[in-house]
Amino acid sequence: MRAAESANVLIEARALTYSRQDEVVFGPIDFAIHAGDIALIEGDNGSGKTTLMRILTGMLHTDEGELIFEGAPYTRDTTAGAIVFLGHHLGLKLDLSARENLHVAEGLYGRRDGADPLGVLTSVGLAGYEDEPVQRLSAGQKKRAALARLLLVPARVWLLDEPYANLDRDGIALVNRLLGEHAARGGAALVTSHGAVSFAGDEPRRIRLHA
Amino acid sequence: MANWVPLWLHKLGSPPIFYRFAGVVRPWALALAILAALAALYGGLVLAPADYQQGDAYRIIFIHVPSAWMSLFIYGAMAVAAFVGLVWRIKIAEVVAMESAPIGAAFTFITLVTGSLWGKPMWGTWWTWDARLTSELVLLFLYLGVIGLYHSFEDRRQGARAASFLALIGIVNVPIVHFSVNWWNTLHQGSTVRILGPSHIEMSMLWPLLTMMLATKLYYIASLFARVRADLIATESGKDWVRAIALAENGDRP
Amino acid sequence: MTPGSTSAACAALFRRDLTLAWRRRGDIAMPVLYAVIVTTLFPFALGPEAALLARISGGVVLVTVLLAILLALDSLFRSDIDDGSLEQLMLAPQPLALLLGVKILAHWLTAAAPLIVVAPVLASMLRMPANVIPALIAALVLATPLLSLLGAVLVALTAGTRRSGMLLALMLLPLCVPVVIFAAGAVAAAQEGLPWVAPIAWLGAALALALVLAPMACAAALRIAMDA
Repeated sequence: MRAAESANVLIEARALTYSRQDEVVFGPIDFAIHAGDIALIEGDNGSGKTTLMRILTGMLHTDEGELIFEGAPYTRDTTAGAIVFLGHHLGLKLDLSARENLHVAEGLYGRRDGADPLGVLTSVGLAGYEDEPVQRLSAGQKKRAALARLLLVPARVWLLDEPYANLDRDGIALVNRLLGEHAARGGAALVTSHGAVSFAGDEPRRIRLHA
Repeated sequence: MANWVPLWLHKLGSPPIFYRFAGVVRPWALALAILAALAALYGGLVLAPADYQQGDAYRIIFIHVPSAWMSLFIYGAMAVAAFVGLVWRIKIAEVVAMESAPIGAAFTFITLVTGSLWGKPMWGTWWTWDARLTSELVLLFLYLGVIGLYHSFEDRRQGARAASFLALIGIVNVPIVHFSVNWWNTLHQGSTVRILGPSHIEMSMLWPLLTMMLATKLYYIASLFARVRADLIATESGKDWVRAIALAENGDRP
Repeated sequence: MTPGSTSAACAALFRRDLTLAWRRRGDIAMPVLYAVIVTTLFPFALGPEAALLARISGGVVLVTVLLAILLALDSLFRSDIDDGSLEQLMLAPQPLALLLGVKILAHWLTAAAPLIVVAPVLASMLRMPANVIPALIAALVLATPLLSLLGAVLVALTAGTRRSGMLLALMLLPLCVPVVIFAAGAVAAAQEGLPWVAPIAWLGAALALALVLAPMACAAALRIAMDA
């Protein structure tokens, strides 16, 4: 079992630590994310959840500890195209429609087999709002439009920073359903949340950050 | 990249080692700088003969010329430190680059002020769009840009990295500016008076000049080391070695 | 074009930026309006004497255009930083330098190209002789993309900071001194009836160099500025 697991480790962190102004923000932490894993990053406000997310995107650099992607060092070249990130800022252009936003994402990241912009907008519950400028959508609908991007692009690893914020009960259920389907396809996801999450299906792995 | 380079630099660049090294060197450098400056001023202002054309007015070169040299030298030193800091992510190099900038800006400012003071008797005006003075003014803006960018970031190390990058862009820019300003000067038939006078200088004028150059270099080292030490104490305040120093100091005077 | 290929990425980004600019076309007019206002102030300050205005026309138009570009530069990454699009751009599996080159091109087309169009009008208002106008346009066609490219690197460096307007001007000034000298040199030479090809050629050479190096420097600067 362990041997089979270590064969498909996607992301591995060894003694990963981050310091800002020589003050430790979090760490050292160790974890391994396999294909099919959904990992919940837990911690109080200021415990470094978003910081860890930014490190995992590759935008933020840390000198302490090791980060490995599929057995190779964690660099832009090795992670290119494998990771998609949804942060506090949704990365949507407010003057464009949801469909136009997805066309840009498709151009930049490519398209998952069998996915198309209209189809993924329907599956996040935005049917009928495809051509509405994003600025006229509600906060929850904007979030759904951003979630649609995850379904459209072929990335295997989803990094979701507070995906449940601004969502109603249906929306939360939607995120859980998308995560479940993604895991079943052999994808992996790291999710931060400071609230209690009722994750449907299997119990997620937990990565605990101490403040 | 060769592995021994970062290893060697990391050893030299360890904050506590550098802190102690700088603490030992700084008083010597400062004392020698003051001695050399006094000797150079005596040689330049008293011993050296008056110029047959400019009279005593030329004596400002003993301040002006070493400052001008230092303004360029420090920019070069800052750019080297910035490059090392960016490539090998060595903290001490980032600190050296950032703490060099205000010293370099000060020398550039002195160069500009003494240049225009000298310009009054020579050209009859405080300011002229001479190629050298104009380049020096642009250099001052480069320094101020680096300092401004460094301080506009909340995270000091990130600010240092961004400002280091700007310093490297500037080092490419300096010769381009100099070339273009020279071209512009010939185009507009500007002043043709040469600041540095005849290329062969009397020995009695040369040695104070060189001594003053030595003094400014030593002063730069002393000033830089003092600034770097203060910066390290502030940014590494959470580290054990700083705590040890603080405890030792308090042990002397509770 | 297959989605996800580099050419598709560039095309999608180019279309996005032009669409966004078109939906906010009021913003495109701002630099032009600014240039018109500044230029009309000069005759009021210096008097309407034709010979004097003609003498300063080249320099005034060039500096005005430079300032208008500086004004527009801040918007290059601002909205992309605020809404998170820049992070999406940086994580895309594409060469970032190329994507930024596309963004700079789109920005130049929407912010600087309209200035080149109005520049002859502004120059005529300042009584610039008609035979000098071609030199002015040639200088602007080469100098404005050069300024956009150099400015983009500096805007990228300030991407992680809050206040950047004045700082950007301070940082850009040393870089734009040679550009202004050669562009104004070409116009001045044309005004004196001298050959003005040499400074234009220098500008062209600098532009060719900047086209290759500036997007790469811009990408490196952006990675430094976002590393927090």
